[in-house]
Amino acid sequence: MLRRAVLQTFRQGLAQSFFKRYAVSLTETTVTHQPIETSDEAGERTVPTQKTGDESGNTVVVAPPEFRFIYPEFLPDPAMERRNRLREKLERMDMLQRRSVIEIPEFYTGSIMAVTVADANSPNKFARFVGICIQRGGSGLRAWFILRNVVDKQGVEILYEMYCPLIQKIEVLRLERRLDESLLYLRDALPEYSTFPMDMEPERRLNNSVVPINPLKVKLRPRPWLERWERQNLQGVEDLNLPQRFYDRAEKVAKPWEKYDLMLHYRKTIPAEEQEKIFAEVHSQLQQQELKRKLRRRRGSDNEY
Amino acid sequence: MFQSLESGETKLSYLAVKICLAVDITLSLKAFRLFFNHEQIRTMSRVKRRTTHPPYWHVLKNNQRTDEKISSDNLRFVQEVIQDKYKNKSPIKGSDLDIEKTEWDPKTKRSGVIARNIGVQHMWEKDGKKVICTVLHVLDNHVIRYVPPEEYAKSVIGAKMFKNRKPLGCLVVGAEASNPERFTRQYCSLFDEVGLLPKKRLARFIVTPNAALPPCTPLTAGHFVIGQAVDVYGKTIDYGFQGVVKRWGFKGGPASHGTTKFHRRGGTIGTGRDKARVWPGQKMPGHMGSERRFNRGLKIVRINMKYNIIYVKGTVPGPTNSIVQIFDTALPRRKFTEAPPHPTYFPPEDGTLPQEDIWDSSLHVFGSPSISV
Repeated sequence: MLRRAVLQTFRQGLAQSFFKRYAVSLTETTVTHQPIETSDEAGERTVPTQKTGDESGNTVVVAPPEFRFIYPEFLPDPAMERRNRLREKLERMDMLQRRSVIEIPEFYTGSIMAVTVADANSPNKFARFVGICIQRGGSGLRAWFILRNVVDKQGVEILYEMYCPLIQKIEVLRLERRLDESLLYLRDALPEYSTFPMDMEPERRLNNSVVPINPLKVKLRPRPWLERWERQNLQGVEDLNLPQRFYDRAEKVAKPWEKYDLMLHYRKTIPAEEQEKIFAEVHSQLQQQELKRKLRRRRGSDNEY
Repeated sequence: MFQSLESGETKLSYLAVKICLAVDITLSLKAFRLFFNHEQIRTMSRVKRRTTHPPYWHVLKNNQRTDEKISSDNLRFVQEVIQDKYKNKSPIKGSDLDIEKTEWDPKTKRSGVIARNIGVQHMWEKDGKKVICTVLHVLDNHVIRYVPPEEYAKSVIGAKMFKNRKPLGCLVVGAEASNPERFTRQYCSLFDEVGLLPKKRLARFIVTPNAALPPCTPLTAGHFVIGQAVDVYGKTIDYGFQGVVKRWGFKGGPASHGTTKFHRRGGTIGTGRDKARVWPGQKMPGHMGSERRFNRGLKIVRINMKYNIIYVKGTVPGPTNSIVQIFDTALPRRKFTEAPPHPTYFPPEDGTLPQEDIWDSSLHVFGSPSISV
């Protein structure tokens, strides 16, 4: 008994230490109590770029570790059959070109955003949609996110491709995170959790350095549901109040060994060394773009007076 | 971008539309399959689609002896010999090679190029429509040899190809230079005349005599023109041994309603009456993929001269990181009307660098302002 317990804790410790050293996945260890510093904070710190020396003594520019969360689409799809370093590099160059034209702000699942898109069928040729980001994915130029809102008692979800040139403006009205990485359960939740006014104003954050985690627990409507939420280990949902047989079946079907499967997580993520290389490559250009935008904003606010 | 519907609300009408569309498609397919030409299947079933043995003229390429017991001194000597033999040569300019100034005419067949399919990138047109483009990396192509038409017509393949027509020349092009230690002596001797490092890939391109190129000529992405149509030749994705549903598109059987062990099977393979046997060419499970195919008429939408990259609208046979060959298109209505770089592209002599990234006029350039409709 004791031996088994010791082995279990040893294995858990091994897995945890592996992730501490090579903390690469957005899902597992990063949804912890540690808040994430934003790009503003990163820019205002005394040492914005970490210059680590290598063996020859030359300084090597390394991007701040927050880049992994602010710009997750710069990391390529980890599937080895479809990876090619040259194509990924060219794609990143194109992404930076697009970012020089439009500001794609930092956002997370759970943030409330407004997207303005060129639409030929709209009266004033632009369509603006406000919604909560329930999911984001894709890598490179294919990166996308889904915004959800309830309009006239009808739930509406729109998938936007982040680098599509039809998008005129992406604003983040409320920057926050939720307890889950995917908020698809809002489809089965009461409508008030997905309703946001279309004329919502951008909210100013008091504490600029930390992205707050909204610990809201959402109430779901009575069954039937679109998915078996009891099997998905959701943190942001209130007690489901299901009969015990659902939880028993969920336990039978569950795969608790997956969190110890190091190779599975290795195959699903990009190694830390490669992440550092990628972000070091794009780091200087992204910082330049941020500075230019800040100057433009300051000049704009000065011009008001 | 799409709009998805709420779970409770108007899902029924959406489903109804989906079912109607599906029924329409299956009805039209059934009508097509009523006309079943057994004769054609019989002749086509005799066509050999793939071989695993190499052809008779094949030269053993890779050095099979991996555990040679050579001393470290001798190894170093071997490497010195290789260094001396393939000393760095300066980049070949157009003026160095003795190329005859030939005129381009619409009947000219230019050389093709060996490239690697490095993946797919999404780009957008000027009206906001998304376009899937395949990224092709033109490797370090060099012409190895030119075989004039009279000589080529005497070879086995040339005789077959030009049995009843005017013979054309053959350009042997190689790509991907690599370490000579990896190859056999016979294979390296193919490149001795030219003095090039042995190439991993070789290809033959049929050209008219006026498009002939001397050995050592480099072929780059500039060989092609923006907006032209190309044919890409490659080996399709190898799916391995596949069942009848994936391989031939059979419907299989019902998933439920009491079906016993008949979900993805072929069903009947003959009538029992007429001919009383299985016709050759009967569609059955078997090996799928790994076949040589052309994707024709693909438009070039972007060329990157710095990295030798061609972006082609559409998809190309084969998986990512596979080698393909790119030719000027054979489709009659999409051939050249104006002269392309003939016989191939050379950077300008006066040192002016060409434009690094050339885009087609229909595409939206990423650095330009957002599209407003």
